[in-house]
Amino acid sequence: MGEREPDPGHGRKRAINRLKTLYPLRNQVQQDYLDALQAAKEGKPIVWAMLNLWQGDIPLKAMGLNVVYPENYATLLASTGSAERYLDEAEADGFPSHLCGYARSTLGYSARMMKQLGGSIPADAPLGGLPRPWLLVGSGIICDARFKWFQAEARYFDAPMWCLEMPAAGGVEARQSDTETVQVRFLVEKLREFVSFLEERVQRKMDWDRLDELIDLTVQIHEVAWQINELRKATPCPMHSTEFWASMPPALFLAGDMKATLNYYRDMLREVRERVDAKVAGISCAEKYRLILAELPPWHSLGFFDALAERGWNFVCESIAYHIPRPPDFSRIADPLEKLARLSRNYVYDHYQTASQPAPDAYVVAAYLKMGREFQADGFFLHPVHSCRAATSSLRAIQHKLLETCDIPSLWVEGDIIDRRIFDPREALARADAFEETMLHYRRRRAEGARRVAVDGPPRG
Amino acid sequence: MTATTTNGLARAREICADRAKVVRELRESGRRTIGYLCLHPPVELMTALDLVPVRILGDMNEPVTLADRVMATAVCPFLRSVVDLGLKGKHGSHDGIVGAHTCDTCANMVSQWRDFIDASKFSHLIDIPHTDDAAAVQYLATQFRSFRTHLEDLAERSLSDATLREAILRHDELRGLMRELYDLRRPDPPLLGSVEALQVGISVFTLPVQQGIHLIREVIAEVKGRTLEPRPKRARVLVWGPIYDDAALYQLIEDADASVVTDDTCVGSRAFSADVGPPHDMNALARHYLVDIRCPRTFRQSQSSGAPKDYDADLESRFGYLRSAIERWNVDGVVLQSVTYCDTHGYEVPNLRHYLDRLQIPSIYVEHDYSTRSIASMKTRLEAFIETLE
Repeated sequence: MGEREPDPGHGRKRAINRLKTLYPLRNQVQQDYLDALQAAKEGKPIVWAMLNLWQGDIPLKAMGLNVVYPENYATLLASTGSAERYLDEAEADGFPSHLCGYARSTLGYSARMMKQLGGSIPADAPLGGLPRPWLLVGSGIICDARFKWFQAEARYFDAPMWCLEMPAAGGVEARQSDTETVQVRFLVEKLREFVSFLEERVQRKMDWDRLDELIDLTVQIHEVAWQINELRKATPCPMHSTEFWASMPPALFLAGDMKATLNYYRDMLREVRERVDAKVAGISCAEKYRLILAELPPWHSLGFFDALAERGWNFVCESIAYHIPRPPDFSRIADPLEKLARLSRNYVYDHYQTASQPAPDAYVVAAYLKMGREFQADGFFLHPVHSCRAATSSLRAIQHKLLETCDIPSLWVEGDIIDRRIFDPREALARADAFEETMLHYRRRRAEGARRVAVDGPPRG
Repeated sequence: MTATTTNGLARAREICADRAKVVRELRESGRRTIGYLCLHPPVELMTALDLVPVRILGDMNEPVTLADRVMATAVCPFLRSVVDLGLKGKHGSHDGIVGAHTCDTCANMVSQWRDFIDASKFSHLIDIPHTDDAAAVQYLATQFRSFRTHLEDLAERSLSDATLREAILRHDELRGLMRELYDLRRPDPPLLGSVEALQVGISVFTLPVQQGIHLIREVIAEVKGRTLEPRPKRARVLVWGPIYDDAALYQLIEDADASVVTDDTCVGSRAFSADVGPPHDMNALARHYLVDIRCPRTFRQSQSSGAPKDYDADLESRFGYLRSAIERWNVDGVVLQSVTYCDTHGYEVPNLRHYLDRLQIPSIYVEHDYSTRSIASMKTRLEAFIETLE
């Protein structure tokens, strides 16, 4: 089963211009789920992993293990309208309703699988379902749910768990001179422990050459993914956010065959560059407004963005946590685990290090201000997520600092990543009309400010 | 500084009624104070540099009216209250603030403090690892050393190991006295009430360590001199959860004919259930704050091997300390309370209740929005729960 390019002769014209090169990338993700099902049938071990910024993905791949990502699968549950029953199952098992929607939907899935179906996969699960795990690899990366959720899965599965580490990006403390050295040393030590743990679990030694080869391949994939995103700064923006989200898993989770992934991303880079040269937008009508979404989208209602695209809203960037920075130079590093530690840490720290300094101190806020300026945003679509603290706690600060320092307004629309009962697309659309006036007002203000700077020079004081 | 005329429990009540006044008096007497968030900043380092560590708390009776400018509603209501009080200038004036990466929301607090409340004073964020093995302890020790250097700059003097050792000993003494105080809740009926214990706990989070020690000694002497109430209550309850710093919930339980005889909260026993101990140095501090403080923000498990998980052993390693508390305080039931949007505690609830079920200890989970109004709405559920306890 794979995703095919739709026949343009049928149905009405899509509001969002889909990239042809997206389809083989999407198939990489779907193929991973199907491969895992086949592997489980053959009695092979299945790993459930969290987003781990490649600290886990690459060693697991080097060990030849089949890995699936429940948080990615949860987006599939949401987008196919299958999530609610699993959310209810999790709540019936005592999990509070404010916990991560990804977590609750797969905890509910696990409860159903293990308590009601004796370990069998639910027959109606999308893409054939997730097979039961033989190993759980959680992480402390970006949010607490990434280890607490898998720890809670202990109630359903006897799979052992490992928790990968990632120091918090913090504020000015992250810029002290010895921070990088200390953190890399810590991460390398933890990665050595992880490899030993894996070797014991798999009863096989790590193939270090293979690990090194996969790290190099990851770096190449990231370089191309980064270049694609840079092209989105063009006017009109050639690639809409929904295309970005659909295309990111092979780079973010290393889904599928990595050599094929690299070629598919190169094809995508070519297609996006052609759009830039031809001034083709990511939406099918003229780009009237350039929007950025922070932080996580309503996966259950992505069609909502088509309605906005019809109004000329082009979402030109999004979701800092999903954006892979340009990879560091590893040419002088011999130890693959140090490369891995630096690759992973760079993801977290690059946004902060490259954001304008010294204020604001909060790195997520600083990174979004930088994104707003570089992508020439007319407005931000802020989506506070009922079930995610990591994606929500800074949104008010982002809203105020964007307006205060960049004259960029925000539309505040509450919702959830998984639970569609919380998100009201009709109400959000009703507010879009008024927000267009607001965006036009601040566009004029920014233009006046730029004219003043051109005439009088930068403000003093 | 105004002369203190009360002592013992009356003094604790007075401190809790106006903590900002205590801070003001300390500063008027020439002391410098540092506000700190959650349990993970090492208070010993502040004490050793003659800086008074004052725990930053919220106010369940103060409506949150300004925090929306900084934080969305779907985040920890306690921290929203903290920010709200900060924007209103109600924490009292401190020489600085220190926070720690205890959870997703708290990790942002120091930056938000700098960006919205006060960027002009000392501030520091301590990164806390999620795991608790030797490598993680060593990493935390580097974080503490960095904090120590930063504090030394503020204090304009360097800290000797001997002075640090002395500060650790003083704080261990205070922890030991708090454990002694909690033991006065073991008789039936308990000699010390839950609201009284809470007030003493909050007071020692506000006072310089030596004054805290003095206060606890006064309270212990006062309470030991009491005669027992004529009738024990229907049940003895343990309260579990994240921060809880108001009398309302305890009072509600007591009014429903149960005694809250101990707790596992971060304003209660979690803060003093273990000492730093020898060798009284930076590594011992790191081990204490990462391993001993039983906040579910730290990932713990019974095994680090690749063998299949033993669920029972996993539960025991995570919650076994509660079995000891249940036995020691002769607990009949457990009230699991949490603020809404506390993820680290929320994920624990089903596993913890499963563990308590196996111990045949009844439990109930209640959630509130860190307001006394939301505590009041729990009355019927809690009364019904207490009626079921034998």
